[in-house]
Amino acid sequence: MRFFSAETNAQKVKMLKSIPIFHTLTRKEILEVDELLYERVYEKNEIVFEEGDPGHGVFIVVTGKLRADPGHQLLKTALLDIGPGETVGELALFDEGPRSATVVAIERTVTVALFQAEFSTLLMKNKSIGVKVLVELARILSRRARQLLQHEKHLPTL
Amino acid sequence: MKPFPQPGAVTLLVVILSTCLLLLLFQKMIWLVLPVLLALLLYYSLRPVVDALVVYGAHRETAAKVVCLVQMIVAASLLVLVLLFLSKAGASQDSLARYLTGGQNLLKKSTGALERAVPIFQRMKLSEQVNDQHVRDFTDKFVQKNLLPISLQLLEWLPSLLLVPYITYFMLTDSTRLKKYIIKSVPNAFFEKALLLFSHLDTSLQSYFQGLLVLTFLEGTTLAIGLSLVGIPHALWLGFAAAVLAWVPYLGSVVGCIMVVLVAATDFPEKPGMAYACLALFLGVRLIDDFIYLPLTIGRQLHVHPLLSVLMLFLGATVAGATGLVFALPLFGVVAVIGETVAQVVTDQRLRARYRAARQLAALCERI
Repeated sequence: MRFFSAETNAQKVKMLKSIPIFHTLTRKEILEVDELLYERVYEKNEIVFEEGDPGHGVFIVVTGKLRADPGHQLLKTALLDIGPGETVGELALFDEGPRSATVVAIERTVTVALFQAEFSTLLMKNKSIGVKVLVELARILSRRARQLLQHEKHLPTL
Repeated sequence: MKPFPQPGAVTLLVVILSTCLLLLLFQKMIWLVLPVLLALLLYYSLRPVVDALVVYGAHRETAAKVVCLVQMIVAASLLVLVLLFLSKAGASQDSLARYLTGGQNLLKKSTGALERAVPIFQRMKLSEQVNDQHVRDFTDKFVQKNLLPISLQLLEWLPSLLLVPYITYFMLTDSTRLKKYIIKSVPNAFFEKALLLFSHLDTSLQSYFQGLLVLTFLEGTTLAIGLSLVGIPHALWLGFAAAVLAWVPYLGSVVGCIMVVLVAATDFPEKPGMAYACLALFLGVRLIDDFIYLPLTIGRQLHVHPLLSVLMLFLGATVAGATGLVFALPLFGVVAVIGETVAQVVTDQRLRARYRAARQLAALCERI
């Protein structure tokens, strides 16, 4: 029986490397990050998290699709469907504020979750991984901000 | 560190009762609890070293093996040194009797001086209360009643203590996998809460054990410096032995103080002032401990109200004796965090509704 055995294999490393926020990491760094990732499977129509829930981590879609249903009108113009390789709930990595949207699986979806407290510990322990992941997260957040700005022309450009 | 949410009245009651039940269980399984506790202490003190080695390129297993090996060598060397010290100091029933006689002489001198200084004590015939026969009877009874059972208990614990490096090694290598394995069985609706609970428990235990080590070091160093200034031989050993004994709240400090006072009274029978100086030193260190060291180390981490701490210590001692005194506060801290999270989950209608819906969906998917 392999209860607590290491499950990381070449295929998993390849899969993790294909996720944008991890694609700049080396194999060794991927293995270290993998120790902090939790795989969750959501059935079709299952809620991942609800708007207003305290956010504790980011979900990365491996297979399947999630749909975000934000309460705020402005956010409805942003990305609503989250497919493989995309992330949802990134802001929870930086603060424990309430979730800004309800996210539901629109088909059977496999995700990996990165928890905020463990991410913070990783940033302190291994700055190399921290910098790489943070740069990718900043790219995702700036892309989302630009999408919002394109839809809402009256918002000032920063 | 953020303070953990304080439990409500009903939760608090359940937490106190659960802590008492666990203490009772711990007392029955002390042979297993003790090595696990020591392994946790080592795990939290060695984990930063293993993490640092991993960052510098070592494999986690290799890093854990190296760190555990070094730790075992250090522990074995310390054990040899302690045994050498004990054999040099002549730790046997005879020497115990010698130290008790030394203490008795000090007591007689002190009561004599008190009688001379305060007439009411003379009328009470204070020195007759501590006559040789009383003390000899007490010593013999103590040795017969306690020394042999304590020695047998120590011998009984010895094999289980061999588990400590073994448990520590596997905690250092597999704790993350074990955690992932447990989290895997948690339903999606409670996943984030479960992770939060693990994080709080980990932070709480890490702060407690690391705080305990820092506190022991500070207390041991202060006592060692104080004792060497007073002129007591083997000040370092005695200081750190007293600091380790202080792991048992209140009772441990008293035993440590008596141990040092007996040494001073026996080694310097003509200078009772040295024994009094040791007593004063212990009282001083106790104050420094309570007002400076403890708030800076463990007290800051546990977030338990002082009144509740005292109540838990009394309850712990009543339910499980010395075991209860040692474990009451850390166990209460852990059970409080678990109790608070469980209470949040039980009272959160949204989470429970989400869980029920997810179960229905899973059942539906299975039928399809």
